[in-house]
Amino acid sequence: MARAGAHALLLILLLTVAHAQSQNASPPAASPPANAGGYVGSEACKTCHANIWTPFFKNPHYKSIASGKEPPERTGCEGCHGPAKAHVEARGGKTTIPHAFSLMEPKQVLADCLTCHARDLSRANIQRSEHTIRDVACTSCHSVHHSPTPKYLLAAKQNELCYKCHATVRAQFDMPSKHRVNEGFMQCSDCHNPHGALPSTWSMGQRPRMVEQALGNEEPCLKCHVDKRGPFVFEHPSVRVEGCEACHNPHGSMNAKLLRRPVVFTVCLECHNGGGEGTRQGGVDLQTSRHNLLDPKFQRCTTCHVRIHGSNADQFFLR
Amino acid sequence: MRTLFTFSRLQAATLAAFLITAGGLLAQQVAAPTPENTSPPRGEDVGNYNFSQTFEFGYRFKSVGGDEGMYRSVDNYGNGLRLLGSNLSINSKDGHGTYFDEILLNTIGLGNDNYQAAILRIQKNNVYRYDMTWRLNAYYNPGLTTAGGAHLEDTIRRIQDHNLLLLPQSKIRFNLGYSRNTEDGPALSTAQEFDTNGSAYPVFTNVKRQWNEYRLGADLDLSGFKLTILRRWDFFKDDTPASSAGIFAAGTPTDATVLQQFQRSQPVHGSSPGWLGNLFTRRKHWGINSRITYVSGRNDFALDESAAGISSFGTVGSRQITVGGEAKRPDLAGDFTVSLFPTDNLTLSNTSSVTSNRIDGNSSYSEINPTTNLGTTIYFQYLGILTLTNSTDVDYRVKKWLGFYGGYHYSDRHIRTIDGSDVPAFANSFGAFQFDVSNHVNSGTFGVRIRPISPLTINLDGEVARAYHPLTPISDKNYHAINGRIQYRLRKVQLSTSYRQVYNLNPPLSFSNFSSHSRQYSANASYAPLNWFSIDASYTKIHLDTFDGLTFFAALPGNRNTLTHASSEYISNIHAANLGVRWAFGRRADLYLGYTITKDTGDGRAVQVPPSVTDPLQVLLVSVQTFPLTYQSPLARVSIKITPKIRWNAAYQFYGYGEQFHILGYDQNYHAHTGYTSILWSF
Repeated sequence: MARAGAHALLLILLLTVAHAQSQNASPPAASPPANAGGYVGSEACKTCHANIWTPFFKNPHYKSIASGKEPPERTGCEGCHGPAKAHVEARGGKTTIPHAFSLMEPKQVLADCLTCHARDLSRANIQRSEHTIRDVACTSCHSVHHSPTPKYLLAAKQNELCYKCHATVRAQFDMPSKHRVNEGFMQCSDCHNPHGALPSTWSMGQRPRMVEQALGNEEPCLKCHVDKRGPFVFEHPSVRVEGCEACHNPHGSMNAKLLRRPVVFTVCLECHNGGGEGTRQGGVDLQTSRHNLLDPKFQRCTTCHVRIHGSNADQFFLR
Repeated sequence: MRTLFTFSRLQAATLAAFLITAGGLLAQQVAAPTPENTSPPRGEDVGNYNFSQTFEFGYRFKSVGGDEGMYRSVDNYGNGLRLLGSNLSINSKDGHGTYFDEILLNTIGLGNDNYQAAILRIQKNNVYRYDMTWRLNAYYNPGLTTAGGAHLEDTIRRIQDHNLLLLPQSKIRFNLGYSRNTEDGPALSTAQEFDTNGSAYPVFTNVKRQWNEYRLGADLDLSGFKLTILRRWDFFKDDTPASSAGIFAAGTPTDATVLQQFQRSQPVHGSSPGWLGNLFTRRKHWGINSRITYVSGRNDFALDESAAGISSFGTVGSRQITVGGEAKRPDLAGDFTVSLFPTDNLTLSNTSSVTSNRIDGNSSYSEINPTTNLGTTIYFQYLGILTLTNSTDVDYRVKKWLGFYGGYHYSDRHIRTIDGSDVPAFANSFGAFQFDVSNHVNSGTFGVRIRPISPLTINLDGEVARAYHPLTPISDKNYHAINGRIQYRLRKVQLSTSYRQVYNLNPPLSFSNFSSHSRQYSANASYAPLNWFSIDASYTKIHLDTFDGLTFFAALPGNRNTLTHASSEYISNIHAANLGVRWAFGRRADLYLGYTITKDTGDGRAVQVPPSVTDPLQVLLVSVQTFPLTYQSPLARVSIKITPKIRWNAAYQFYGYGEQFHILGYDQNYHAHTGYTSILWSF
């Protein structure tokens, strides 16, 4: 039954695409005609702004012109900048552009962009994102006309863009043990949603605030480190409850394995000292009395506790 | 480098003044691929399409002195020919291509780099958009910190993601996706046999992990509401075997253990099907955003392990362990946000969220050894986490240049654990223990946003919080945070500086109380006064000091193992700086000079353990209080235009890693000379 349903859904998808394809054999792109709202059409703009217009067919916003179906207020140059009649009559000038983004307040910029871009799930939380609250507008990161990046019209390479404000994070990615962001293997947006994320599903749900959880309601770390997702019969509670940051610095660390301390036994013993609440109301468990910390083999806890992120076979994570 | 000194006095003075202003600090990026382009990529017209393409093909070299294992763990650029980078774009000129309107393909490192990536986008307006990302990372880590080198990893991780969006501009959109993540390669691990307090012995593992995810979803726009529904399935399997072909002996007077034979098979296969639903809208005076997800994770596993050798007491040691069972995790998360915009200047929002994470599993453990037949033990475990959060935030814009924001956040988390076990061979052996713990956090935030002039933004905010019954000693308890950020942005110059402190201050009421002070300072400057010159610099200082109580067992020579209380202190003072300077010489050549240094000065001590500290336990604890090291990398790159469509590039990058103290007992320091030469061809 489920398979039949899936086939039916696939058929509907294909028919819908075919229908859309047939409808798409529309007339060539044309600017909408001028109307009473003061819209003059993009043809008028290219007369003076040829440098922007000439490569504009490569711009994602060209879709609004190619469509030929959008109303003037959502088409081409005037779709973002507003009706250009006054600008044309004044023979130019920024102040005569109804929506000159370089002159607009961040809140206005956001409102304008969300006119079309509010539909995506990734931007559902943008109104209360940390960036919005701190007046980081769309144009702080995106360059609609001069983007050097192939996708998303970013004003610079993604990591360089983020580093402009987050110099501390840049420093962390320059540490010896780090995720490979500068090397091009990863992007900041693999873990973060710059448009605003929902409350985290780990820790106490309040911080961190711009980290996008994986589809499985998990920390984004587990999107790549899938072997540590579990579920495990014997969970390491701090991993599951507090998150990976209990032991690791996610951006980068001066210590190996992104650890918060240079040696393992201090990472472990700073929690396993009987303090905190633990999961047994009596503080986090102490190490066994058969371990002698002065014996070097007991100073490298994970030599024996190899499954420290969780185990199915051993409650002490030995296998 | 001589080129640096051939500028006019005015230019040199400008540069020097700027360096002083910016803190006299230095900047960086990875050497390749070359970012400079050939002539403006207008591309070539073919029919209704415009093509532009660049290839950068070249040779990398490296020469490493010192610990090459550490170099491979940190930097890992190798020798050989590479397609260092490529960019292809094909665009229809009228937005009405027959099968597509746009193709984008960008790659880095293909061929042999240890970091490789490719992104592809193909789309046809109104009909479909396909996005693909493919990445490869050859990862090497000698595992010295965690297991003295016995946990080496030399694996390759490949990640790919495919997403097909149908009818991207319509009011109903369909989404199909597939992601895959694999990790393969040899690794070393350890196994502890015959005695749970004995030594661990190296075993070889052949890592084989695979994760596949399939997604199917739809977005619907209806009357201003956006509804998203996504169904996903993922499948995970780990078929990593472990074996030992050699004979390993503990080699200590108190431990006669010899491991002669070992093999372990430990397959895990699981799946995590899930649903996601999201509904949001934004109207003139209000908006809502609600989400609910449900994921049902499950893992089935088995383990078969056999070992033979000599036990720690010198007798024959052998044992066989078999384990089987399953673990399940139904996971529900929901959020509901209401935002109100009563005036243009005021935003009120309230978010409530609930996360329920329940993990239960059982494991049937059987062990056979020559001395005692332990039979079968069945373990039952449960970990349930229920977190409720509510946050109210207010953002009030008093004037265009002045705004205030603040909020109150509350979290309540309930954790339940149940540990149970049963030995079927013994009647009434079943036992179960249930524990319940509640944690709460109350926090308040307040901030001010000032824009006295358009390019200048000042944000100041603070947070105060109290956490009751935090889970671990190192969790935030009585903490406050202060943030300050100032930015000045113009087209040619961008300056920013920030300060952040997070103090988790807990009086030393007990031996296990934890306190930490974290302070971060940063300054960043970018200046591009001319189209042939730009400079980018940043400086960051990250300070951290922590104090915690330790409780452990230790036995001084000749004494019994006794419970011991001590303190753990850790001090880190990291200074990180970048400088990047780019010159363009006419339209013929580009030169980039960069430098990055990250230096942890620790607490300033000259020796790892002062001579006055002689107690063995104190020697151990004092030796790990700080970890001073320097990691730096200067870079020089030149790119010369040969013809309008061909450039020749060459770069040199040095990596230096130096620990002041070898607190792990190893000298991991290294220096590496790396670089490349390449041809960049565009058409």
